[in-house]
Parts: sequence; structure tokens; C-alpha cells
Amino acid sequence: MTRTHTVWWSLVVLFVFAVEAHAAEPRRVLMLHAFGHAYSPWSDMAASFRAEIIRRSPEPIELYEVSLDTARVQDPKDDGPFVEYIRALLSRRSPDLIVPVGAPAAFFVQRNRSQLFPTTPMLVLGADVRRIPGATRTEYDTGVLLDLDLPAYLTNILQLRPQTTDIAVVVGNSPVERFWTSELRRAFEPFMDRVNITWFNDLTFGEMQERAARMSPQSVIFWFLLSEDAAGVPYSEDRALEAMREVSAVPIFGMGDYQMGRGVVGGPLMQTKVLGQQGADAGLRILKGERPSALNPPSVLFGTPAYDSRELRRWGISEARLPPGSIVLFRQPTIWEQYRWAIIAIAGIILLQSILISYVLLQSRRRREAEAEAVLRRREVEHLTRVSVLGELSGSIAHEINQPLTAILSNAQAALHLLAQKAPDLAEVRDALEDIVHEDNRAGEVIRRLRNLLKKGERTAESVKLNDLINSTVGLLNSELIRRDINVKLELADNLPVTSGDPIQLQQVLLNLVMNAMDAMGKTPIAERSIVISTRGKPTASVDVLVKDRGHGIPALANGHLFEPFYTTKEHGLGLGLTICSTIIQAHGGKLTLVNDQNGGAIAGFSLPVQETAARVM
Amino acid sequence: MDKFTVYLVDDDAGVLKALSRLLRAKGYEVKPYSSPREFLKQHDPAVPGCAVLDVSMPGLDGLELQQALTAGSSHRPVVFITGKGDVPTSVRAMKAGAIDFLTKPTKDTDLLEAIRRAESREAEARQRLSELEAIQAKLRTLTPREREVLTHVVAGRLNKQIAGDLGTVEKTIKVHRSRMMEKMGLRTVADLVRMAEKAQIGPYWTNGQLDGRPIPPP
Repeated sequence: MTRTHTVWWSLVVLFVFAVEAHAAEPRRVLMLHAFGHAYSPWSDMAASFRAEIIRRSPEPIELYEVSLDTARVQDPKDDGPFVEYIRALLSRRSPDLIVPVGAPAAFFVQRNRSQLFPTTPMLVLGADVRRIPGATRTEYDTGVLLDLDLPAYLTNILQLRPQTTDIAVVVGNSPVERFWTSELRRAFEPFMDRVNITWFNDLTFGEMQERAARMSPQSVIFWFLLSEDAAGVPYSEDRALEAMREVSAVPIFGMGDYQMGRGVVGGPLMQTKVLGQQGADAGLRILKGERPSALNPPSVLFGTPAYDSRELRRWGISEARLPPGSIVLFRQPTIWEQYRWAIIAIAGIILLQSILISYVLLQSRRRREAEAEAVLRRREVEHLTRVSVLGELSGSIAHEINQPLTAILSNAQAALHLLAQKAPDLAEVRDALEDIVHEDNRAGEVIRRLRNLLKKGERTAESVKLNDLINSTVGLLNSELIRRDINVKLELADNLPVTSGDPIQLQQVLLNLVMNAMDAMGKTPIAERSIVISTRGKPTASVDVLVKDRGHGIPALANGHLFEPFYTTKEHGLGLGLTICSTIIQAHGGKLTLVNDQNGGAIAGFSLPVQETAARVM
Repeated sequence: MDKFTVYLVDDDAGVLKALSRLLRAKGYEVKPYSSPREFLKQHDPAVPGCAVLDVSMPGLDGLELQQALTAGSSHRPVVFITGKGDVPTSVRAMKAGAIDFLTKPTKDTDLLEAIRRAESREAEARQRLSELEAIQAKLRTLTPREREVLTHVVAGRLNKQIAGDLGTVEKTIKVHRSRMMEKMGLRTVADLVRMAEKAQIGPYWTNGQLDGRPIPPP
């Protein structure tokens, strides 16, 4: 095997000088690594020991490290060159302390003690007590050893995952691992009736991964040790554990603290750091001159069970299942813990903004409601003023209907009388009947106009021919004009452009303006009472309507108040007429004006924009 | 003599036409006018007939028209028709001598009845007028002295007293009196007094003036 021949030698010599003691003789420590110096867990123990002893030693420590690879080779015949090498390395400066890391290294020293500084104290680090029984130790030997409680591993697994039916044990195939396989088999014997235990020691790592990926949900992996798989491929630094975790379908439980953070769930763990520290402790005492055999340090047991929070969450293991007093590592701070103040501040700002936005929305809704109500009110007031105007005119309007009724009655009676004659004039009877039809239409027309004005409805926008509207309005006022001895003159422009608007509202404005004109002429001599209504169109711009009277005009005091609500110059006026007219005309995009005529009386007028459609013909 | 004519004045063409048709169907001669002024202009008081006037008309309303009619020599009976028959207007109209005050729509019976009354009133008035005209014609044949004697006789004075009043002798008075009675076609003083009453010649009517003014109806 090439691998066994390619023994690589590693020598790390560290000169560490304490600042105050550069003249002092350094203490030489020889560390012997059973594997390469980068194999967990030994490398972890060694690192801890190394750091600790250097840190705490009063004298400078001169550290020699030699990798033996014996754990994998394990053939005493191959010891020779290593021994020669070490002797050569330390021929002029004999070491003060020999520290084999792991049982194989200890075995190597024990085999070759006679050639390797037989009286130099040896401190065995990290071997299990089962491997180094007290009988094998000389008076120069001592050890900081492990006492692994193997069944505790499975107990832990079954406590965390009671549903577990299968446990696959990852263990390698090097001599030291073969030892542990048999130890584990013995220790796990009592669990065999509860779980199936599968052993991966005769698989290559690739095969282990394949198996792990296909395992049932009730299974777990117990990762004990993998330094070399069945194919003899070495695995260092537990990269294999991380690779396994990538593919494994089930949780992986480990054996030592050095595996924490690499994908194991956790539990009672071998304590490499503590071991290193206690090793350094013992080493320092030996360097101070204490007799090794007198030290007799206690074995290092499992520490407080520790768990990886990420793995617990990943596999859905509740923290309630952990033994009391467990340590949970790698707990990821929640977003709340991490950003508490930022979250509070942002939430506060959002809350504040929400309140502001709600307030603004509420305000705008209130405003909309108020506007809607105002529109409703205005419509009602418009309607009420129309009704009240018509109320004022009721007598005259009754007369307007009475006239056709009179004509109808008389025509009908005339027809009856004609028919009663011996030789009835049928042509005359026909005329009478035709007149009845005509007069009936006339009465109907009055009622239709009335109903239109009394209508209460939405504002509409349709084509309006103002001349027609004026004729209709004057028709409605006919009797009233006669009653008040007022002469109306219409000067309506031909081909007046069509405007757009609500005919009822516009008629209301006309009615109001004409009524105002009529009211203004109460004291005008009868001969002078006249109203002139004129229209004028500017084809592309607007249509003007003017209502001119010969009344008392606008009192100087009233100027500027005319369009204010509840301002009136009339004895029984409400003061709403012109306000409403102005509002209506404005809503139609026009303007209502009221000025005194130079020749006496007042001129009320408004102009409306011409409808934009092509319909310009009357 | 002309036929009895109904003068119809209403500014509403439809009503005017309908009423004309009705009255014509009942055999009346109808002259419709839609303008009161036009009517006044063309009115001939000599033609017998009555006026049916609308109260509410532009320019000149019914009551004003009635006044204008009676202000002249016309004694034309007037029937009012109105759309709004308010009490004050009707009282004014009736006081001014209207035959009737009818509200529109007017029943034909009411209207025809009113016209018939107007017709008879008209006939009476005409009768009285012709009698008066005959008396006045006779009075015009008297000399001033005979007229003076007439008023004194009507006043119940004796011949001797009259002679004293007028500063002459009884014999002269007797001659005047017999000529006067002859011209008037009367035989007794009682007849004379009755005639004087009709002609409204009383004892206080002393200036001998008689201008033929029509006697207002009693």
C-alpha cells in the first residue's frame, strides 16, 4: 500500500518566549500524534492542550510535534524509523515532557520507552481509560484520560427521538476504530431489543452517504468516529461529517464537542477542550517537578449535554425534550431579538403613519359626505324655490289651464247645440272637435311645464335651445304678466347656438329673473311696464340671455350682496333666488350678472358656453 | 233695426273662438274681438246687443272697458266672464251695472241666460230711450216761454200764479198753456206730469235747458 509507505513527517517547532524570561532555559515538550496532526478528535485535544500550556507556562515552551500515523499503520515493525527520527530530533536537548495524543501514540511510546527517554515523564492525553490500564504505566507515566459512557449516547438519542427504530453507527475501519466498534457493539447490546443498529464500519464513505440519503424518517445516524473508511481512505477534520449532513435524510448525533456546529444534534459529549485544559494542567505540574505517578488526575467525563439549536429546529425536536440544564448552542437570535429597537421604531412609525392616513381618509370621507349632502341640500333648496315660485304663480297658472278648459267646454257645448239642430252644420261640429283637441293639448302643455319644474331630480346635461326655454317660461307667466299689466317683448336671435345643460334648472333661472323683473315694476306706471328678453349668440363662444325691466333698479345698498344667500330687497323675499340662479349658472360654466340700465330699470343676464358638438342649428 | 249682436272680447283666441261658436250655434250675431282697444274703436252703440267681456286682459281689462263703454252714450249691457272670480272684482262689476259675473269655464246655460237678460234689459232701455226721444222732440217744438209755462204747470202752479211769476197777465199764460199742451199732444195736466217725470223735468229744473242727454236707467 502506497499510503502506508508515504509516511509524512511533520515537524512543527514553536519557539515561544515569555517576554520577561528570554534568558531562561525553555521547557521542551514532545507531542506525538497518533494520526496526522489534523485528525479529530485528537487534533482538537492537542490544539486545546497546546494553547493552554503555552499560555500558562511561566517558562518558554519549546514544542516538538511528530505525527506517527501509527493508529492507521499499527505495525510495531514500522516503529524503528520514527524512533530514530525522534532520537535524532532531540539528541542534544532531551524533552521535559512527552505527550502522546491518543492511545495509539501512547502504545508507541510504551513499546519504545527504553530507547525514548525512559525517565522523561509521559502524559497520555485523550486515550480512553480502557486502553491504558494502570498496570501498563511506569512511575514516570500519567494520563489525562477519557471515560466515555457509550450507552448514554443511545439513551440521549431515544430520549430526543422516542420514535427512533433504526440507528446507523458511523465508525471507520482503522485499528483504533475497530477497537471502538467492538466496544460500541458491547455497550449497545442492551438496546438491541428496542432499535435496529446498523454498522457502517465495512462501508466506504460513498456507500455510507448513499445509505444515509435513503434512510427512513424513524432512523438516526450516530456518528462516532471516521478516520478511515472500509476502502482505507482517510478522513480528516471531520469534513466527512459535514458532507454527510448535506445528504442525510435523518438527524445525525455525534460523540464529541468538536463535532458541534458541523451538523450533529448534540447530547452528552466528549469534552476535547476540557481534556486539553486538564492535560495542560497536569503537564505544567509535571514541568514544575511533580512526580507523574503521584498526579493521578481524574478521567474526563461527559460535560453538560449541549445541543445545536439549528439541528433541533431542522429535525423538529422540541427543546422541551432536552435534559434539564442542557446548553443550546447556535441559537439564532430571532429577528425580534436582533432588531428589537429598529422593529419598535419602524412599527411605531408605521402605526403613526397608519393613524395619520386613517385620519386623512376619515377626513376626506367626511368631506365627501358633506359635499354629497351639500349637493343634496342645494338640490332640495332649488326644488323648494321652484315650488315656491310656482306657488306664487299658482293663481296665474290655474288661469292658464282654465283658459283651454273654458274653450273646451264651450266648444263641446257648441257642438252639442249644433247637433241638436235639424240640419246640423257638421263641418262646424268638426271644427269644434278639432279645437277641443287643440285646446286639450294646450292645457296638457301647461301641466307638462309645471310638472317639469316641480320635478325633483338629478342634474342632467342635455342640449338646450334657450329660445324654446324662454318661450315656455313666458308662456307659463302669461296670465301673471297680464294680471300685472306687464308687456313682454322677446328679441330672440335666429339660429341661436345650442347650449348644454339642465333645462329645468335653466328654466328656473329664467323664471326667477323674469319674476324679479316683474316684482321690480310694482310701482312703475302701467304704460311703462315692460320686460325685454333678448338672446344673442356668438357661434364659437357663448350664448347671452338678457332680461331687461323698467323697474326701480338695484338699490345702491344692495350692490355686492345680491348673490349672497338670504339677502333680499323684497318685502316677502327669501333671499335665495339669485343665490341659486348664480349657483346654477356657475355649474353650467357661465356667469350671472345684474346691473342697472342707464335708462332706468335693471338688466339681468347670463352667458352660457356653446355646446361643443356640431349641433349648432336651432 | 239691426239684429241683436253679442260683442265678445277676450284676449284668448281659443276661448274667443269657442264662445263665438257656441253663441252662433244658438243663433246670435257675434262680433269677436281679441283686443279691447280694437273693440272700443269699432264699437257702435246704436247697434242693439250686449258685451261679453273677459275681466283679465292685457292693456285694458274688463272693468276698465265697462267704464269706457258707459262713459260714452252707450248703455250697452255687460256680461263678465273671468278665470278668477274674486269677490271684490265681482262686486265692482255688479255695482257698475253688469248683468252677470260668470266664472270660466262658463256653462252655456248660464251664459245664454245672462245674454237673454241683457237682451231684455237692452230692449227695455231702448224702449225708454225712444219714448224719451219722442218727448224731447216735442219739447224742442216749444218756444222758450212755453217751456217756462210747462215747468210751472208741472210744479202745480195756477195760471194766475204763473202769470205773477213770469210778470204777465193770466190771459197770455192761458194762450201759452193751451199751445204748449197742443204741441205736446196732451190733454190733461196729469198726462203732462207723467211725461215730465219720464223726461225728468221737475219743478227745480228751471233754466229751461234740455240737451237730450239720455236718461239713466232707473
